[in-house]
Amino acid sequence: MDNFKKKFIEEAAELIDKLEVALLELEKKPNDEALIQQVFRVMHTLKGNSAMFGFELIDSFTHNLKSIYDKIRNGQLEVSKDILNITFSSVDHLKAMLDEQNYDDPDFKTIHSGLMGKINKIINPDIVEKESNNTEKAQDMSGSFSTFYILFEPNEKIFSNGTNPLYLLDELCSLGEHKVYAHFNRLPGIKDINPNLCYTYWEVLLVTDKDVNAIHDVFIFVETDSKLEIQKLAEENLLADKEFVDEVSHLADIQKDVGLVTIQRLAAKSVARINKAKAREFTKERIATKDKTAASIRVSSDKLDHLMNLVSELVTTQARLSLFAEQNNVPGLAPIVENVHKLTRQLRDIAFSIVLIPIENLFGRFQRLIRDLSAELHKEVDFIIEGADTELDKTIIENLSDPLMHIIRNSMDHGIEESRIRIANGKPAKGKIHLKAFYSGANVIIQVSDDGAGIDPEIIHAKAISKGLVPSDKKMSKKEILDLIFLPGFSTAKKVTDVSGRGVGMDVVKKKISDIRGEVEVESEVGLGTTITIKLPLTLSIIDGLLVSIDSSPFVIPLSSIDKIYAVDKESIYNTFNNLVTLDGTQIPFFSLRKEFNLQPSNEELEQVVVVNFEDNRVGLVVDYVIGEYQAVLKPLGKHYKSHDIFSGATILGDGTVALVMDTNKIIKMFATSK
Amino acid sequence: MAKTILIVDDSDSIREVVRFTLENEGYNVLVGVDGKDALKHLNGQAIDLVITDLHMPEMDGIELIKHIRAMSDYERVPILFLTTESQTSKKMEAKDAGATGWIIKPFVPAKLIAAINKVIR
Repeated sequence: MDNFKKKFIEEAAELIDKLEVALLELEKKPNDEALIQQVFRVMHTLKGNSAMFGFELIDSFTHNLKSIYDKIRNGQLEVSKDILNITFSSVDHLKAMLDEQNYDDPDFKTIHSGLMGKINKIINPDIVEKESNNTEKAQDMSGSFSTFYILFEPNEKIFSNGTNPLYLLDELCSLGEHKVYAHFNRLPGIKDINPNLCYTYWEVLLVTDKDVNAIHDVFIFVETDSKLEIQKLAEENLLADKEFVDEVSHLADIQKDVGLVTIQRLAAKSVARINKAKAREFTKERIATKDKTAASIRVSSDKLDHLMNLVSELVTTQARLSLFAEQNNVPGLAPIVENVHKLTRQLRDIAFSIVLIPIENLFGRFQRLIRDLSAELHKEVDFIIEGADTELDKTIIENLSDPLMHIIRNSMDHGIEESRIRIANGKPAKGKIHLKAFYSGANVIIQVSDDGAGIDPEIIHAKAISKGLVPSDKKMSKKEILDLIFLPGFSTAKKVTDVSGRGVGMDVVKKKISDIRGEVEVESEVGLGTTITIKLPLTLSIIDGLLVSIDSSPFVIPLSSIDKIYAVDKESIYNTFNNLVTLDGTQIPFFSLRKEFNLQPSNEELEQVVVVNFEDNRVGLVVDYVIGEYQAVLKPLGKHYKSHDIFSGATILGDGTVALVMDTNKIIKMFATSK
Repeated sequence: MAKTILIVDDSDSIREVVRFTLENEGYNVLVGVDGKDALKHLNGQAIDLVITDLHMPEMDGIELIKHIRAMSDYERVPILFLTTESQTSKKMEAKDAGATGWIIKPFVPAKLIAAINKVIR
């Protein structure tokens, strides 16, 4: 059972996130019916699941919450700020409810009963609808729906024991789509009316996925002394058949009551009609729903990690096999090896795409953050999300949450000014924060930009000096100065606010992002705003690389950063003063890796220059020769190599040799500063 | 305004469970330990529902129901009683005395709420 509960909690957390996103949308477009339906559906699922797994508190809570949205979608209520606020608090409360340990907390109890009270107040405006016309109400078509006919003739004295028959009808209607006909023909003349007696009786058409017992349950208290007829008319939704509904309604108007026999006759006619119409659509619909159910399945991430590991091993083994085939000329082996190579590559690509998930969920969470922060800080902000469908490795997304949250908090707190200051500076009163994700080669770029006050390099510089982080006489470019904010122990907030400036600074952000092999950059114009750019690899475990040889040792350079490869003669490398080489007519700075790795100059006449992209420039890396393209399975380096961050990992070649994988950006940065 | 529910039961634990559930649902809750004790709450204040056990010392449930139905302030108040599956005759007796409905013991909170929702809103 605990296992089930865990699953439920996992799923519920996802549902709650979904709900939150939908609500935020709804806040922007309060009349969007599709959104209301969505909110309702998510609540419905949450309620259903919680009941199944014994989370009664969530079940009952969500039930009431859901009733609000049921009324909204039936047009009995309108989306208001009040309702949304209560719903948002409820969403928070739901999150707390997932942890059963909270249930004994007195704060939790107060919040719970408070919210329940508020929710009940919204759903109970003390009006009971006698007749509702929601034939067009969209039911989620899970399970099979049947149409029932119910005749309910209460005992005249039903009021005397405190029963309100309208509540029962209400409950009946809550079982599904319905049509209620109230009959007043027993009502005597005004003089003879006894207000203590019930003269009305009802006929109800109900479409529900519940069975007949559920309907009997509704009337359980009154069954013995009232007249009750319950009959299944058809295993279809007859209320969807307009002709049938019209006929019944017409008869209900002119006759005293329609009666079971007549209704059954009409129902049979209707079923025939529906079946005919269905036959046409059936096949198409069936396929469509089938597609949908197969569209996604739930797999534990452990299994995926395992799969990825196996694929990595397979890629390594496949490299060994290729090598073996090359060295031993066995007839017939080559085509098999080639096939295995092809299959491995495909398998690798598919395994990759499985662990890639859209960044949408993560971004959605920030929408809520912004909403809360803008209330807390009294700053109004437009939050724009772009590229939410960009896909990234699941592990990366998980690790991205905290740093991004920190950056957005900073933007809200330090970036965006208060509206009166903004107006004084000629900006629109409402601030703007732009969160953008997009692909760039084998990388994903995530940008957070705001149109706030920007970062003043002079203040940063002065502060860094006063903190002793940089010597006061050092001349620094603007970029270098801005990069200072990533140093440990740097926080420029004038005062510590609730939101940011808790002592955890941008250095933590930088560290977390480099942990997932990403990079952070900051750009800022005083008065115009700040942009923080995060560059991330698409995936962590396997990369396409270029295998090169330096002094007979193999190295891998990630293919994603490579621009072009040239062959140059030794002379132009070793007899140069300014480390520039002319290639294709442009001068390109280069580093000889032999020289930088403190190795002897080579004896070969020709060497090869691998030109890689570094920031906005191109930089050459001189190697002995290029071996070829290689799929490198990244393995972490042992702790003795921890300090050598110019290598992002190692990979095992087909013959068992270990090749180090270069991090070109870090290599160039290191060599450039050592000059 | 929150609805007020009067719970009458001589069992401490039942009273507490019911009370906790109802307060969570946002109801005002009054308690009586038996029929006689419950009468002190029936002083004209607004009570929207009475939930009572049948078997109690000092005025049992049936008597309490009759008593309530005889008071002009409360003759229409819905009354639910707690009973077990086997007590069919008791059930009819209580209904004849004027009870609105019943809740079968043992019950889970959801069932209690469902029963209450049948009689008050």
